Amino acid sequence: MADFVQLVVLGLLAGGVYVAVGIGFGLVWGVLNIVNLAHGALVIIGGYITWQLFSAFHIDPFLSLPVDAVALFVLGYTLQRGVINRIIRAPLLFTFLLTFGLNLVIINVLLLMFGSDFRSVTPSYSGQGLELGNVVVPYTRLASLGVAILTAAALAFVLNRTRIGLAINAISADRDAAQLVGIDLRHAYAMTYGLGAACAGVAGGLIAMIQAITPTAGEPYTLQAFVVVILGGLGRVSATVVGGLAFGLVEAFGQSIPGSGSVFANAIAFGLMVLVLVTRPQGLMGRLR
Amino acid sequence: MTVRKLALLAVAVVAAFACGTASSGPTTGSTITLGAPLGLTGSLTKESILTQQGYNLWQDWINARGGILVGGVKHPVVIKYYDDTSSANQSAVLMQKLITEDKAQFLLGPYGSAATATDAAIAEQNQIPMVEANGAAQSIFNQGYKYTFGVLSPANKYLQGVIDMAATLNPKPTTVFMLSADDNFSLEVANAIVTYAPTKGMTVFPVKKYKNGATNLSAEVQAAKAANADIVLNSGHLQEAIAINKAAKEQKLNAKIFAYSVGPSTPDFIAALGKDADYVYDGSQWTPQVKYTPAFYLTVAQYVAAYKAKYPGLGDPDYHVAESTAACLALQRAIENAGSLDAKKVRDALAALDVTVFFGQIKFDTRGINIYKPMVVEQIQSGVHHTVFPSNIADAQPMYPTPNWDQR
Amino acid sequence: MIAGAIIATYALLAPLTSLDAVQSAGVPLLADKLWFRIATYIAMFMVMATAWNIIGGITGYAAFGNVAFFGIGAYTTGMLVAKAKWPFLAALPLAPVVASAFAALIGLPLLRLRGHYFAVASLGVGVAVGELVQNIDYAGQPLFGGASGLFLPILSIDNRGLFFFYLMLAAAAIAIAVTWWVLRSRFGYGLIAIRENEEAASVIGVNTTAYKVGAFALAAALTGLAGGIFSQWNVFINQDNAFPIEYNVQMILMALIGGTGTVFGPAAGAVLLQLLIQFLGGSLPISFDIPFVSTDARPIVAQVILGVLLVVVVIFMPRGVIDFFGGRSRLSLSYLRRSLRETSL
Repeated sequence: MADFVQLVVLGLLAGGVYVAVGIGFGLVWGVLNIVNLAHGALVIIGGYITWQLFSAFHIDPFLSLPVDAVALFVLGYTLQRGVINRIIRAPLLFTFLLTFGLNLVIINVLLLMFGSDFRSVTPSYSGQGLELGNVVVPYTRLASLGVAILTAAALAFVLNRTRIGLAINAISADRDAAQLVGIDLRHAYAMTYGLGAACAGVAGGLIAMIQAITPTAGEPYTLQAFVVVILGGLGRVSATVVGGLAFGLVEAFGQSIPGSGSVFANAIAFGLMVLVLVTRPQGLMGRLR
Repeated sequence: MTVRKLALLAVAVVAAFACGTASSGPTTGSTITLGAPLGLTGSLTKESILTQQGYNLWQDWINARGGILVGGVKHPVVIKYYDDTSSANQSAVLMQKLITEDKAQFLLGPYGSAATATDAAIAEQNQIPMVEANGAAQSIFNQGYKYTFGVLSPANKYLQGVIDMAATLNPKPTTVFMLSADDNFSLEVANAIVTYAPTKGMTVFPVKKYKNGATNLSAEVQAAKAANADIVLNSGHLQEAIAINKAAKEQKLNAKIFAYSVGPSTPDFIAALGKDADYVYDGSQWTPQVKYTPAFYLTVAQYVAAYKAKYPGLGDPDYHVAESTAACLALQRAIENAGSLDAKKVRDALAALDVTVFFGQIKFDTRGINIYKPMVVEQIQSGVHHTVFPSNIADAQPMYPTPNWDQR
Repeated sequence: MIAGAIIATYALLAPLTSLDAVQSAGVPLLADKLWFRIATYIAMFMVMATAWNIIGGITGYAAFGNVAFFGIGAYTTGMLVAKAKWPFLAALPLAPVVASAFAALIGLPLLRLRGHYFAVASLGVGVAVGELVQNIDYAGQPLFGGASGLFLPILSIDNRGLFFFYLMLAAAAIAIAVTWWVLRSRFGYGLIAIRENEEAASVIGVNTTAYKVGAFALAAALTGLAGGIFSQWNVFINQDNAFPIEYNVQMILMALIGGTGTVFGPAAGAVLLQLLIQFLGGSLPISFDIPFVSTDARPIVAQVILGVLLVVVVIFMPRGVIDFFGGRSRLSLSYLRRSLRETSL
């Protein structure tokens, strides 16, 4: 029983990272109709910023998360405004290829800047945890989950309660109508991508605390973001939160299958995703759009 | 630039000491071209660069001496590298390029078992000897290839030293939990333990496999915790070793011995984990503390000094660097023994090679892999690597048992 | 036109190389095994890009996991040769059969999805199949060679390089011929109707499910054939080299560069992009220097250049490079401006 509870706890905690990675990816996909293959690379940029601030200035990794968010927002806004906006009306494959190219550029620029060494942020409290009977709850992971949920809440707030959020919702519903009522599409698109990138930055900061990062460490997260967003359902932040936590749980239980459960991690995740897509295309939580 | 020149000078000085009186007289012959495709970009960048450092150290040294001596003529050496973007398929193209375009007379191995397997087939078809130092999977050597030689101990030996050491400790650990990545090399390491540990009176739980490159291993660590074994072994790579150690602390997995096949020997492991890296053991091809009496080239201490002079700020050379240098040494000695640059003769000389260098004994079995050199066991003690087994080349006692996480 | 010319030039270069006169003249590029290896790679991608075009370009379904069929083809031939000891040429025909059967099986559910959803689901299949092939055990033993992969015996024939080159080139010719046939058949018209408007196609009596699954299986058969040849050519296969995720992107990119929906475009795109990749990777016998870049950083900078080129091509030439340099439009600023206007906000 304690084992079961522990697995659930670990799964949910791991889900925190997937939530953080998924919300930005889901926003960009849902609103801009772009499957952003550079998302994992953006995540890792956030990780390197947190690492750099920690190793050079001893800034606590949780305190550097806002820096990640702002830096990635600026980068994301610029990328969308300067580059991706130019192919927004092209067929979907072009956005795949464009973001794949950006991914290649970002990874290799990181490689030039930081080399291929494994970097990890290990503050003094890392590894400490709460013990509830036989169940352990590591502080860093718990805080990461909290940050991920907070980030999701903040994003939902921006989308639902602010002017720019309403503009984003409007372009998501009908681009041309939104333009007719006077929304600056270029700006709104860039804001959307910027917000998505900011979420990626926060996710990267969290990831740098949990694992060792290299410039290529983001690629698995792009794949996982796909699954998370589809599991939850495209188009709502809250759905992605559910998707991320569900993915964490699926992974934890998949890994605990005796013997070789976790070598099928991708097969299980993608199998589940295909199943969801085929039987319930709106996702576990989504509305049909 | 100046730093680099100084470093070269230092290497040259060391080299001069190492070989005593340099023989005078031989004339300079044609340049020997060696080639190696390496993953200078992509997912294997880190290990590939360590490999390249090892090759380059030897290249500097041999050229400082004027080259490889073949029949009274010194042949300078140039090593050509290409970036295979960490793709085994591209590695094969570049091997072929090295052979046909760059006229590489001999080949050095790429990094990793997958690329090595592909390149071994290329070397075989072109009948060019390839000496490799970074593909330990025995499946490569079970194909009857005649032109591929591995200077490193095969995968099955990686963690056997830890078991041997554990058997000498008091109180003797009796249960083993084995975690393993699902790649070729890691599984060979793990499967060898499953058959070997029982011969030392230990019971092994079923191997817990995980995905190569996995970053979240908390459920695996939880399984290890449930088993409550004395020894927790991991057979994987640096990234997974770090993830397991972090999760072990977070989830309070306590064991008498934590030992990981690959990872703890690199400076990155200590940098990433700080104090939590202490007490961890690893099976290593080589450590800077080993005591071997070299027949030629540098002593262990000189080698470490040469590395630090050429690559300042990176700490001691890791075993990937040392084994890569050793591959070059094996090739050099084989060429000298053959007294010829003929591929076939050098291949035969490699097959007959038996020499001890700073890296240990280099001798190949009939399959072409070096089963004669022992693996050593390292432990991280207060942030420093120490060699703890076998005791005749060790510089410290194992700190045993590993204290529980809340007592550190 | 241009596409055809590129392919023809490429196809003619190889036979030339077998002539003794060329060998003894020592013409660079033509006289060696390296060229055969690169040329065989190019042909391999010609097959894959042309095959992708059938489902992605003609039918309009953005398949992102076709590498699964390549791997299945490679493992089919690999298993038969390495484990069952079949002769290679007997084992090869089964590669496309198994690959297309698999495609038909997964196509039934997958092809109900549209747009991004199909792309993502097919990508998932591509990743999952590789993982299953590597890890499935039967009675405690890996069923398909496991992590060690499969080693095939090296074929003992003369001119091995030339043999595999012609074999792969034949596969490319088959792929192009099949595309040519598809575009002139009732089947092809049905596929184009599906691409343009699936509901309308259904209304006018196209059995959309059968057509889509047919196109998917056809693409899989051709891709599987390339995989089958690859396994014997490369001698060693494992998850890494039989299911490389980056091939998914590369084959699509080639089709786009050459022009989707055309007969020769994807193959020509394969020639261009592979040559570019090999050039930047340094495997062509043309040496180049990147100014202000140290030798250590060169490979990394080459990857950055590849990424930037990709971005530029996608932004400025959405109808393909061949179109850009071809007869329909001229290399001019107004062309670039027009392309930009068409696709940007």
